[in-house]
Amino acid sequence: MIGIVELLLPLFVGAPLLLGGILFVVPRHHPLQLIMGMGSLLALLGGAIVLLILTFDGTILVHQIALWPGGISIPFVADSFSSLILVVAAIVSVISFHYMIASGEAQSPSIASLVLILAGGVAGALLTADLFNLFVFIEVMLLPSYGLLLFLSRRGDMAASRLYVTVNLLASTLFLAGVGLIYAVQGTVNLAALAGAGDDPATAIATAVCLAALAVKASVFPVHGWLARAYGSASPAVAALFSGLHTKVAVYVVYRISSVVFEGDGAWMTAIMVVAALTLAVGALVALGEREIRPLLLFQMVSGIGFILIGVALFTPEGLTAGIVYMVHHMVVMGSLLLIASAIEQTYGSGRLDRVAGLRTREPLLTAAFVISALSLAGLPPFSGFVAKYAVVLASADAGQVLIAGLLIIVSLLSLMSLMRVWADMFNGKRHTDVEVLAAEERIRTREGLFDGAVIDTDTAAAEAAQALEQHGPPRGVLASGDPHDHRGTRIPLRLVIPALMLSGLSVGLGFGGEFLLQLAEHASSVLTDTSGYVGAVMGQ
Amino acid sequence: MSLALSIGVLAAAGVFLVLQRGMIRIILGFVLLTHAVNLLIIAAGGVSRRDAPFFGGDTSQAADPLPQAFVLTAIVIAFAITVVLATFAVVGRRDDDTEADNGAPSQSELDGRLDALRDSEPDSEPDSELESEGERR
Amino acid sequence: MTLTAILGGTLVVVAITIVATRFLGRNAGWLAAAGLGALAFVVALRVPEVLEATGVVREAVTWIPSLDIALRLRLDGLSALFLIIVLGIGALVMAYSARYMTERIVHPHTGYFTWMLLFAFAMTGLVLADDLVLLFVFWELTTLCSFFLINRSGDRAGGPAVRTLLVTGFGGLSLLFAVVLIVVRTGTTVVSEALVHEVWVSDPGFTAGIAVLVALAAMTKSAQFPFHMWLPDAMVAPTPVSAYLHAAAMVKAGIYLMLLFSPALGGTIVWQSILISTGLLTTVMGAIFAMRCFDLKEIMAYSTVSQLGLIVAVIGIGTPTALATAALYTLAHALFKASLFMIVGVIDRRAGTRDIRLLRRMWARMPVTFVTTLLAGLSMAGVFPLLGFISKEYLLGQMLEPGGPAWLGALLTAIAVIGAITTFAYTGRILLGAFSDYRGTHRVDEDLDTQRMPEEVTEASPAFIGSALVPALLGLILGPAIVVLHPIMGAAGSAAAGEPYRASFALFGGLTIELALSVTIIALGTLAIVLRGPLDRILERRILPFTAIGVVEALRTGAIALGIRIGSATRTDAPSSHLAAPWILIGFIAAAAIATAPSAGAVIQEAEPWTDALLLGLLLVVVVPAVITRQRFTALILVGGAGFVVALWFFALGAIDVGVTQLLVELLTVVALVLILRRLPAVFHPVARVRQALTAAIALAVGVAATAVTLAFTGRRDMSPVGQYFLDEVYVDTGGTNVVNTILVDYRALDTFGELTVIAVAGIVLMGILATRPMLPERTPNLKAWVGTALMRSVDNTLPIRVVARWAAPVIILLSFHLFWRGHYEVGGGFIAALVGATGFALAYLGAPADRGAPVAWPYRGLLSAGIIVGVASGVGGYAVGSFLKPIRWDIPLPWGGEYAFTSALIFDVGVYLAVLAIIIAVINELGGVREREGKLSTEGVSEQRSKQESKGGVR
Repeated sequence: MIGIVELLLPLFVGAPLLLGGILFVVPRHHPLQLIMGMGSLLALLGGAIVLLILTFDGTILVHQIALWPGGISIPFVADSFSSLILVVAAIVSVISFHYMIASGEAQSPSIASLVLILAGGVAGALLTADLFNLFVFIEVMLLPSYGLLLFLSRRGDMAASRLYVTVNLLASTLFLAGVGLIYAVQGTVNLAALAGAGDDPATAIATAVCLAALAVKASVFPVHGWLARAYGSASPAVAALFSGLHTKVAVYVVYRISSVVFEGDGAWMTAIMVVAALTLAVGALVALGEREIRPLLLFQMVSGIGFILIGVALFTPEGLTAGIVYMVHHMVVMGSLLLIASAIEQTYGSGRLDRVAGLRTREPLLTAAFVISALSLAGLPPFSGFVAKYAVVLASADAGQVLIAGLLIIVSLLSLMSLMRVWADMFNGKRHTDVEVLAAEERIRTREGLFDGAVIDTDTAAAEAAQALEQHGPPRGVLASGDPHDHRGTRIPLRLVIPALMLSGLSVGLGFGGEFLLQLAEHASSVLTDTSGYVGAVMGQ
Repeated sequence: MSLALSIGVLAAAGVFLVLQRGMIRIILGFVLLTHAVNLLIIAAGGVSRRDAPFFGGDTSQAADPLPQAFVLTAIVIAFAITVVLATFAVVGRRDDDTEADNGAPSQSELDGRLDALRDSEPDSEPDSELESEGERR
Repeated sequence: MTLTAILGGTLVVVAITIVATRFLGRNAGWLAAAGLGALAFVVALRVPEVLEATGVVREAVTWIPSLDIALRLRLDGLSALFLIIVLGIGALVMAYSARYMTERIVHPHTGYFTWMLLFAFAMTGLVLADDLVLLFVFWELTTLCSFFLINRSGDRAGGPAVRTLLVTGFGGLSLLFAVVLIVVRTGTTVVSEALVHEVWVSDPGFTAGIAVLVALAAMTKSAQFPFHMWLPDAMVAPTPVSAYLHAAAMVKAGIYLMLLFSPALGGTIVWQSILISTGLLTTVMGAIFAMRCFDLKEIMAYSTVSQLGLIVAVIGIGTPTALATAALYTLAHALFKASLFMIVGVIDRRAGTRDIRLLRRMWARMPVTFVTTLLAGLSMAGVFPLLGFISKEYLLGQMLEPGGPAWLGALLTAIAVIGAITTFAYTGRILLGAFSDYRGTHRVDEDLDTQRMPEEVTEASPAFIGSALVPALLGLILGPAIVVLHPIMGAAGSAAAGEPYRASFALFGGLTIELALSVTIIALGTLAIVLRGPLDRILERRILPFTAIGVVEALRTGAIALGIRIGSATRTDAPSSHLAAPWILIGFIAAAAIATAPSAGAVIQEAEPWTDALLLGLLLVVVVPAVITRQRFTALILVGGAGFVVALWFFALGAIDVGVTQLLVELLTVVALVLILRRLPAVFHPVARVRQALTAAIALAVGVAATAVTLAFTGRRDMSPVGQYFLDEVYVDTGGTNVVNTILVDYRALDTFGELTVIAVAGIVLMGILATRPMLPERTPNLKAWVGTALMRSVDNTLPIRVVARWAAPVIILLSFHLFWRGHYEVGGGFIAALVGATGFALAYLGAPADRGAPVAWPYRGLLSAGIIVGVASGVGGYAVGSFLKPIRWDIPLPWGGEYAFTSALIFDVGVYLAVLAIIIAVINELGGVREREGKLSTEGVSEQRSKQESKGGVR
């Protein structure tokens, strides 16, 4: 069994790429697009789960691709850490793609292929143990992302897309330079062969360059600014997908490199600690100041990256476990929140806090999903966020970092405040009079494939709005006007809410089943605290 | 020495162009930056041995082939990305300018936000006629 | 498992009631009341066990062992008392709600009952929790329930709700901090173990810190100054909510927390000073504020704040008697305050207002209500023989002897007495204001007086007023029958004090100082009521220059403003600013490098051939002007030149394949960019001098760093073992001789595979973008100037190149195939071959007289996809010999003798070939704008409209 699975490891990359390649030539409206797309994502998820089960007991699956000797060939490795992240990444991909199908975005040309190739790239980046190969797979992840970003973007101007491409290109270039330096010093780019090389200052510096490049990708302070801008211009569903995959892969690699190369070397971990602390504080503060739901959430995400990095910076078993728990929780909850934002934006045509209101009484299911996810993100019980945050805070205090622990708690209050802004502005209150028109304009734009801000003549919009009011009559009984329970007019279609509901449900499950998550994370962190097994397996000893 | 200097020159020029305004300069900057990195990788293999790495005969002076393979891959990837960048530069509203119409708020807009914030303060008296618990809604 | 059952039982009540509301509407309240009542009864059954000083009931259900979090429940005297209060008052309030809520079919109050009962669940969990984390969980749960209950109360409840959540949420987080620190220090999450740990004695600093955190948490919850504001603020909630959460139960959570932690924190100076000072301050302040209100509910709110102050203060005293008194006072307060709140609701429902300025002659119209109010009110005022009297007497008694200097006792007592007098006074204000014509002010507010209360107001139904009457009567009964309470109070006191204690409260303790004080209070209180007229005038003046709500809002908006400011630094799409940030990180790393002064060994070979310097010179010649020029075209050509120099470098360093690839790629890059330059302005956009200098500085720094790092890190070790392996083993392993190529297609085929994917996707992206977004218009040169010149005759102009192309094309194709075939052995391979082939197409394109109709219109989309497919296919084929991408080899005998060592790596290389070829054709055709001119937007993409729209250029 194990042997076969090891042999098949490369297919986690090969299969999605092959199908993606085939789908390029399948007509865009052909059912195969969605069937094969969703099918292979589910298959990926299934495979990832198998890996997780096999590696749970500490087993490390290795395949030297093309069977060249260890150290020569490119090794693919699946241990409890990479498997866990792969599973969550697959879940996020499945749900995001599900949302794209629901919103019809998946019908746009090449989308299914691009999502598949992105997923394949993620799998490669998570499984490879060769730094140059990692660079290649990061590129394999990035190019489909450029496509997804722009094909589904509703922004007329290119500014944000240009920003995204250039920043990522710079990061990749830096990373490549770092890899080059590592080869210059050590004569290998095989991660396992670099085990413990961080003691040598030269190698440490070279590796640090790689980490800096990854920091750019993970958008930590002081390079935190680009993410909200770039993702803000993407289709919300794409933003959800990216937030689950790109930044998290970067963080994953940071974890991996810090443990294998630096083995938690004090000075460098302190540096990470400082960066992480700044990131989570700045992210939360900026989020507080945003006035659209998506940038607000995206800066919350930046803050979350800080939380995750605290875990590796502590580099105690508890710290790493907590960090991994937080990573999983964050991928799930961020996805849920961003998909909620998508549903709002794509239905009401605006994510402005001061444009949309009164969702609480209008959209019970969406409200439920939001409340759960928001409280979870803020770290309130009994959701996954509480377990994760408590674990991180406890680990920091345990490691004697009481100040960090305090900071984490204060930042939690800040995130609670910003999410309360969303609640107070968007979910409470009476819905604005012009919202029907906004929604109508949005529908027209979507129908005719216009860009945001496209000028739509008022009569058409008014007609559309009136029609909407007709179609959805008063739901229950006859109601006095001004009754907040008067739900005539545009409602968010259920199919757009379901994905978020699934993810928030998962967050609840991970909250009550916190033990399960912690077990997974503990096993994952064990391969980070003791890398000998990993190294031995990769070097074929 | 010369190689190191060449790398430095390319890197400096690349960074300078990348930080300029307009996609074309940014693209050209990245092209130069990539050159710098590629040369660095070749240098990483050591430059004391300069024969082409072919099997057969005396390979005592053959250069390290692995960095060369890396660079080959890197060059082609860079080409692909350059193509995409070029496309990004040639579609859009006006031209390849990256700094007009980039959604940055002016100082005035910033103040506007802050004012809006102050106005948004809820009235700070628990008002009694609103006693009516939500049930009356 | 009684305790677990009780906790679960509350949840069952929630579920049942939710269903019931669908059928019974508000009457589901009766059901809920019965449920909670039953649970209270179950608790009462277990109480005897805990009445012995040390008796405790414990249960545990594991939850998250990894973090040592479990559903640990504990019933001792203290929790028993609070549990009975919570469930008992809960039952009353539920019954009350069944009449208070409006009768409606459409919205059967499901939400209301759900949150109320969830709150009951949370409180039950809170007082039973024997696990620090669980304690926090339920603590936050009560906060959330209160938030949602307030939040759903009308359109303007949002502000108060959010403020309440932020204030109490802040308290909750400080509790979390305390919990974490305790867990870390004591190593256990079990409350009863953690609180008896020796660290509390051994480490005063730690104890003090925890004292502050816990006090913060408790003060926010129990609305102590300066966090009191949220309570009056929260009065927008329905009256039953106020009666339950904001009088009887939730605000008592803070009290419970303080009592719970008393064994550990009690007696420490920090704890005492915080609690006593804030407590007494809050008492007086709350009472005085109560004197200024007109809304009965608001008066009640401030009264609650003030009363809680007294309790907090007496907890601060910390002696067993003091703690027991606190417990007793809590009970008394729960009884009379719940009753008073419910009465306010009754009056409100009957008379349609709660404003004492509007209420007239109610005593005659609603006698029963009046009597009830009188009972509850007098208990609050501490009048003989009600329960409130006893609790107040003992409280004053405790104030008299706080320990420490004698004057301290006098001072505390004095303040407490002032508070008590004011309490007496505002009790009078409530009674007279609500039931007589007393208006509480002299100002006549016209628009207010227009809305008078209805003329005939009638008494409420027994079912309605009943729930208010019961606690009031209990207050009357328990006074004389105080002995009944001794066991439970004793147990509570012991639990809170952590030492055995027997309660001995008496209704009449003889002629004591306390009694004298009580008399004084009543006398002065009555006087204050008599002189209410002048008093009102004085109190109407504004007392504090600011409202606490204002402060909270200021903090909130301040934080937001800060966020906006920080955010504005990055709120731009201009890449330049975002592309500058990463160099900050690199700068730090450089600093670290200088600090650690890394050495990668000694330099192998100093000397370098003179050609190197020449290449450096060449590079400078092209790069420097490339940076300076303002002409797009010039810059492009110069950068292209740089590319060629770099290629020369590669040749010089023995990287032949790389050099060739570099040359070809450079060529094609230039072609691609030339194609788009036609659509862009001729000169670059201007940039400010300052910025030029700044960027130059950064660039220079990076350049220096790059040079330094190259010198320091490279050329200092021998051939890497990996490299040596390739040189030695290549033929045996792969049968190839061109080591670089074999690495690409054999050893590290996965890299190449990923790379051809990148190429293919790049092609798809390129096509996709151009399909959905139109290219900028071409900036065609002014043709008029050329009329008559040779420049106009494109057919003739392109003749030479077409001639070249005609005979060159086949040669190039052949060459390309040759290069491909021999790639494994000599310079060549998939890339190079494809690139060479592509140059042939480029030539054909340049040779075309008119760009209508591409010279080469192959289905490059298909080719791109084919590239990937072939790549993976050959990879999967590798499984035939054991692994993905493992090359298959066999020797094909050649007709002219010898044999060709074929390897499936060649098939893989075909994939590369296809992808590279396809993207280049794509670039030429797409960026060349051929399809654009043919007017057929590609099969993919809706967007005719998009393009129309684009030209309109809507602004976001």
